[in-house]
Amino acid sequence: MAAAEAAHGEHHASAGVDNRMLLMWIFLASECLFFGSLISTYLIFKGESLVRPLPEDVFDIPLTSASTFVLLMSSFTMVLAVYGAQHARPQMMKAALLATIIGGLVFLGFQVFEFKTFADEGLTLSTNQFGASFFVLTGFHGTHVGVGVLYLSSILFGSMRRNGLGKDGGTHVEIVGLYWHFVDIVWIVIFTVVYLIP
Amino acid sequence: MATDAHAEQSHGSPLGPREYIYITIGLALVTLVELALSYSDLSAGPLAAILIVLSAAKFIVVVALFMHLKFESRIFTQMFMFGLLLGSAILLALIALFWNDPSDALGGKELPPLEHHDEAHQLFLDTERLV
Amino acid sequence: MATAAGTFPQAHEESTIWTWLTTVDHKKIGAMYGVTGFAFFLLAGFEALLIRTQLAVPNGTVVDAERFNQLFSMHALTMIFLAIMPLGASFFNFFLPLMIGARDVAFPRLNALSYWVFLGGALLLTSSFVFGGAPDGGWFAYAPLSAEEFSPGTGLDFYVVGLLLLGTSSLIASLNFAVTVINMRAPGMSMMRLPVFIWMMLVVNFLLILSLPVITVALIQLLFDRNFTTNFFTPSEGGDPILWQHLFWVFAHPEVYVLILPSMGIVSEVLPVFAKKPLFGYSAMVFAGVAIAVLGFAVWSHHMFTTGLDTVPQIVFSASTMAIAVPTGIKIFNWMGTLYGGSIQFNTAMYFAVSFIALFTIGGLSGVMHASPPVDSQQQDSYFIVAHIHYVLFGGAIVGIFSGIYYWFPKLTGRFLDETMGKVHFWTMFIGMNLTFFPMHFLGLSGMPRRIYTYDADLGWETWNMVATIGAYVLAFSVLVFLVNFFTTMRKAPDAPDNPWDAPTLEWATTSPPPEHDFDVIPVVRDRDPLWYDRDNGIEKPEVPAGLHIHLPPPSYFPLLMGGGSLLLGVGVLSHLALTALGVVIIVYSVWGWALEPTD
Repeated sequence: MAAAEAAHGEHHASAGVDNRMLLMWIFLASECLFFGSLISTYLIFKGESLVRPLPEDVFDIPLTSASTFVLLMSSFTMVLAVYGAQHARPQMMKAALLATIIGGLVFLGFQVFEFKTFADEGLTLSTNQFGASFFVLTGFHGTHVGVGVLYLSSILFGSMRRNGLGKDGGTHVEIVGLYWHFVDIVWIVIFTVVYLIP
Repeated sequence: MATDAHAEQSHGSPLGPREYIYITIGLALVTLVELALSYSDLSAGPLAAILIVLSAAKFIVVVALFMHLKFESRIFTQMFMFGLLLGSAILLALIALFWNDPSDALGGKELPPLEHHDEAHQLFLDTERLV
Repeated sequence: MATAAGTFPQAHEESTIWTWLTTVDHKKIGAMYGVTGFAFFLLAGFEALLIRTQLAVPNGTVVDAERFNQLFSMHALTMIFLAIMPLGASFFNFFLPLMIGARDVAFPRLNALSYWVFLGGALLLTSSFVFGGAPDGGWFAYAPLSAEEFSPGTGLDFYVVGLLLLGTSSLIASLNFAVTVINMRAPGMSMMRLPVFIWMMLVVNFLLILSLPVITVALIQLLFDRNFTTNFFTPSEGGDPILWQHLFWVFAHPEVYVLILPSMGIVSEVLPVFAKKPLFGYSAMVFAGVAIAVLGFAVWSHHMFTTGLDTVPQIVFSASTMAIAVPTGIKIFNWMGTLYGGSIQFNTAMYFAVSFIALFTIGGLSGVMHASPPVDSQQQDSYFIVAHIHYVLFGGAIVGIFSGIYYWFPKLTGRFLDETMGKVHFWTMFIGMNLTFFPMHFLGLSGMPRRIYTYDADLGWETWNMVATIGAYVLAFSVLVFLVNFFTTMRKAPDAPDNPWDAPTLEWATTSPPPEHDFDVIPVVRDRDPLWYDRDNGIEKPEVPAGLHIHLPPPSYFPLLMGGGSLLLGVGVLSHLALTALGVVIIVYSVWGWALEPTD
């Protein structure tokens, strides 16, 4: 949020950190509980489906590995964007932001393709507990990626204005970076727990 | 490496693009190892344990280095740890509470293998209720 | 914009509706939360009166079973989410910046947003009465009763969407407040110099931040079960109704501490002032509050002792539940220690604070009883639990809130609530409360179940039910007395001095009510009881520098717009998805406008 709220007069930041960074970190703590509950549900219903398809019938591990790799690369471009913002290299920042957005979109593309393929193979929300818990978990993760793409795009467009992102620009990019990396580490957990672990 | 050029950035990160490239390559390699292991003949228990350890390592690396937690004020770590630790504890507690007992719906039976259907299945959103 | 120049000007800006709709001032937002919360308190009280009237005699005919189920469900939902929480938020909003020596919260527009989303959620949930029936599965909406098959109307969909909106509002507010307390304290205000009220609310904020996501997941799963053909909670398809109970209670148990901790904080502020003694055992009070919160995450299955849990979980949860009595007991003894040897002034605020200790202790004692699984197997779903709930929530939370109202009224409005009417209010409320809820212990022990809309004449329950109903009407009368007091007081001119009670905390260093910019000069804090320290050491109030210009965040309509967008989003889920899409568009537009609007 473009704000000078933290800079009122002689205001003292008692913990000495930026308000918005602190906000994002505490929000991410909250998100740990959100995804933790969704993952718990998935694990609770593992082995409880009454009909097939089961994971081994539909998972395409190489394909999902590719999308995992894409998301990992987007985390890399994200740190480059933050670096560019913090070292007065706006071209680097913008290019890296764009690359991150593209990475996110490609990941989403993979997700949509995967969902459609699974549906064609008979796995829907209503089919069994695997379908329900899988689609809700990965669907909400995908929604978070989508929101992240919108957030990143807003920052990118903002940086293309005449004043760019203003004097707080580095912080803005850093904060969207925190969100984006978090979405990536949630996927690290999902990839392992849902796809890889038998 | 280079000290931070911006005066208002109070946290100087010692990591530059070259370090980030190395870290990313490392993460990618770990992912490949996980992938390879998942195809190996390891039995489920040890496989799961190794995969969990490897993912935890990736998790920590991204949080500490990409998200800068290692170089930032301790308060950020404390806040994030509240969520991470509580979320993990509740996850473990729920799994323990729901640990399979033989009287569940399946009755311990295996499901028959999947037959492949030719016709496509309908889309999964049932929106009739909403209109 | 407000300026200060040597004197202390009262903030007399013209308050139009638009001022209120676009305000980002924590005091105005606090006032809106307070008025709205109290209005819903009256509504929920009215619902309770209907319940009690129906149960006054055997086989009552005031309402039918369906309506009765809606009434007790909405009574709980309204009291918890639309009354007690907003009243706590009201005090916290108004006093947080003042008590820590700040001029506003960390994110003023986010503060406004949380109010508007709250209002939208509150109206949506309450409107269910006229749109096909209110939720009728209890406030806990257990599966499989909550499934579409067994609750085919829209009541439970209103429940899901309403709670999702309300949860979002609380989450936003909690994040904002947590950042404020951690990061915006005045110089010298270390964490262990914070007023206990602030500590308790900080703990409450973290409870909400960490527990709301869990019920969000549960609500999403219920929404999907009811509308998108999943079977999370349907046993015949492999689902598990107990999963709902676990996810619900992982949130809802910390939630009850969210309801009581603010009042514990208020009482911790009031007792020292009117005993003219510092709070006994400050550090222990703080650590006990934190301990209650941490343990509060480890006890949730004590609501599920009768669901067929294994032995080991029963033992674990029973032990952790009993353990919570320890920090709670520490607090109770410390309050008594504060009173002991004090020079006590018995005004209305003090009456409420002292009776809080007694009434909450009674509620705590019954709670420890049903911490034992075998005892709970008798008490679960009986009126004994209803007695426990209302001793802690009415005798605790509500009584504590009234104490705060009488204590802080001069600071909030510049006027004193009348003491005579206050004492009448107190005694009728105290008598009414005990008359209503004490007999419920007996009813529960003699076997009367909860949530039944009638009972037969030959079960021996008539007498106590009639007593309880009479008590409920006495309670209603007491609230009426308060309302009369409130309205007659507000018609008087404001005349309260800055610190009429000679209280120690920073909010009393401002005028009554405070100017729009709160402090002319940000105070420097030298002690846990700053004003007592300054008084005892002859430290004068700081000089106001000449030509002081205080910049305040400008008003904004984006929080209102975004609140409207989120309401539309929710309404769309209940009717036409096109409305949801429109709501999303409005939200995205608002976020952009918000990010780009100047704040200086």
